[in-house]
Amino acid sequence: MSFAASLILGGISVGSVYALIALGLNLTFLTTRTLNFGQGSLMMLAAVSAVLLAGIGANLYVGLLGGIVLVGVVAALTESIAIRPIAKVGGSMGWVVTTLGVGIFLQGFVAKFFGSQALAFPSFLFSARDFVSLGGVRLSAQYLAIFVIALALVIAFELFLKRTAWGRALQAVALDPDLASVMGIPVRRVVMLSFVGSGVLAGVAGVLVAQITGTVDAAFGFNLLILGFVAAVLGGIGNTWGALFGGVFLGVIEKLVGGYVSTAAEQGIAFALLMVALAVRPHGLLGEKEVVKV
Amino acid sequence: MKHGKLSLVAASIALALAAAAPTADAQGTGTIKIGNTGALTGPYNEFGEGVRRGILIALERVNARGGILGRQTELAISLDDQLVPDRAVQNMRRILDAPEIDVVIGPGGSGPTLAVIDMATVDGRAYCNPQGQTPSIVYPDGTDKPARKNVISTAIQNDVEAKALGTYVASRFKKIGVMHESTGYGVSGSQLLGVEIERLSKTKPVAVESYNQRSQDMTAQISRVQRAGADVLVVVGLGADMAVIRRNMLRAGFDVPLITSGGGISLPYKEGAGELAVGTRATMISTYQPGKTPTGVAKELADAYQAKFGRDRWWGDDPATPQVFFSLTVGAGFDCATMLLEAVRLAGGTDRAKVTEALNRISNFPVSNGAATFTPMRRLLVQPENLGMFEYVKGDKNDAVLKAATQ
Repeated sequence: MSFAASLILGGISVGSVYALIALGLNLTFLTTRTLNFGQGSLMMLAAVSAVLLAGIGANLYVGLLGGIVLVGVVAALTESIAIRPIAKVGGSMGWVVTTLGVGIFLQGFVAKFFGSQALAFPSFLFSARDFVSLGGVRLSAQYLAIFVIALALVIAFELFLKRTAWGRALQAVALDPDLASVMGIPVRRVVMLSFVGSGVLAGVAGVLVAQITGTVDAAFGFNLLILGFVAAVLGGIGNTWGALFGGVFLGVIEKLVGGYVSTAAEQGIAFALLMVALAVRPHGLLGEKEVVKV
Repeated sequence: MKHGKLSLVAASIALALAAAAPTADAQGTGTIKIGNTGALTGPYNEFGEGVRRGILIALERVNARGGILGRQTELAISLDDQLVPDRAVQNMRRILDAPEIDVVIGPGGSGPTLAVIDMATVDGRAYCNPQGQTPSIVYPDGTDKPARKNVISTAIQNDVEAKALGTYVASRFKKIGVMHESTGYGVSGSQLLGVEIERLSKTKPVAVESYNQRSQDMTAQISRVQRAGADVLVVVGLGADMAVIRRNMLRAGFDVPLITSGGGISLPYKEGAGELAVGTRATMISTYQPGKTPTGVAKELADAYQAKFGRDRWWGDDPATPQVFFSLTVGAGFDCATMLLEAVRLAGGTDRAKVTEALNRISNFPVSNGAATFTPMRRLLVQPENLGMFEYVKGDKNDAVLKAATQ
């Protein structure tokens, strides 16, 4: 029982991080029908910035906040530099390359100016030794905290979408940007807001993962971006609860396969699930089929 | 007039002959040139950059003593492969295509080294393997068969390390769990360790799990080892991954002794695990030990390093002595260059075949990590007696400090 429980808990925790990345990808997809493949490097940038700010004497939590705010700004810049000019060309998929390019640039920038060696990342939410005992099962406090934060962010995002004017504006832009513009909604600002939000989510995911691994380096985040993308597709791109479900589902399946079948198969299962999802249910487990008027 | 024409013809022939004559380098009167590829940048640059620094110090030491056979020495080609096999292959091609290179020091790590070693073997120039631990790098047909003719090694070969690790754990623990990275180094190291444990204790490890380098979570692997009832975990891997393993162990409540191969206690482990590293043990070359002043060539190297580079990341925290890991980075580069140049000296020049043959005549030659003696069967500098057991203990500042293990 405790073997299965530890696998499931580990899966939920890792999956919560995938969910945050998927949520960030969803956000930009809603407003611009594009995905920011530089998201992994934004995770890295937030964590590295937090370490560097703490290193020059800032309070750790100020450093974390600073890192997250910074990547929000960088995400907005990414929209201006790497997506908006490309999106003007109808049907172009150039944003895949340009957003990846931004991510690679950020990796190179950090490696050049701050070194490519791993930097120690401090634990800020409990220690690896802290745990909660539930029915005789040991639950890591760090893992639980990640899940609780991811859940809180998903709920907050849902409330934002449904209960606020900006959230409704975002939904309107997602539905039809031209019509939203005619209705007086500041589409440009809404798009920019979605990128800032996406960057902030990447930043939160970055610092949460960094405290699990204990180190962060320039190459950090890229693998997680791919798994976050798989989670978004599994849950249904554009669906908030789908992002959480897809992430947790992927994380738990990975760990169960690793625990009961083979640890070598743990990585591969994500891509097997992606292929099956794209073949059988391309709109994801919780997504709805997109109907196109012809 | 006729005499003038003859003179012109003679001068032309002389010029043509001069142009066709071998260059000074090929005649063996220029500098003796070393070519090297290694991880000079990237997440593993503690290995490659350390080797490069060791080579530079070795060359300065030789040149200050008048060079080899009256010729100065230089690191003529130094390329960055970031420990990526493809890049190491491209770099090695460039090095081997340069006829002026006399001896070669290869990349770090088993992956890149296995990717280039056949090229280097076919080329035939004397080659030193600084860090690749897989036995087939030096012994392609098995360790009981002759080594590659032109290859010597300063690495802790996996079978040598497995003997030291196996002897240590088999006599102390009954249920041994093993985790290893999925590289050539990790796989061969784990297999040899399993054989050694079985030979000594007549039982197999209770669990053997692999992981990919830079994995961010190892819950599944740790859970499987824990479920198997292991009373110790032995890891064949590198420092950054060790930090993830240590944290995962504690989150899972799997607080058994953690023992690792030498690569596991590199600086990224201490940085990533912090005080959680306390208690971790590892086998490592025992040239440099905290609180113990090095002697002989090892001291010469330490003094020269401090004078040239200061007390930096490769040196470590202790102002008096380089960190334990120094022997595997700077020490490896220094020893490789020193031994290859000794072969050139014994060969009486840079003729490839003669230098390769001269490797077998290196005998009891002092370098920083021991005394080198090579034969067609014996090409490893580091032998089991050069290894010691080290342990991270709590330091004065409540941090983790590596010390020689007391038992």
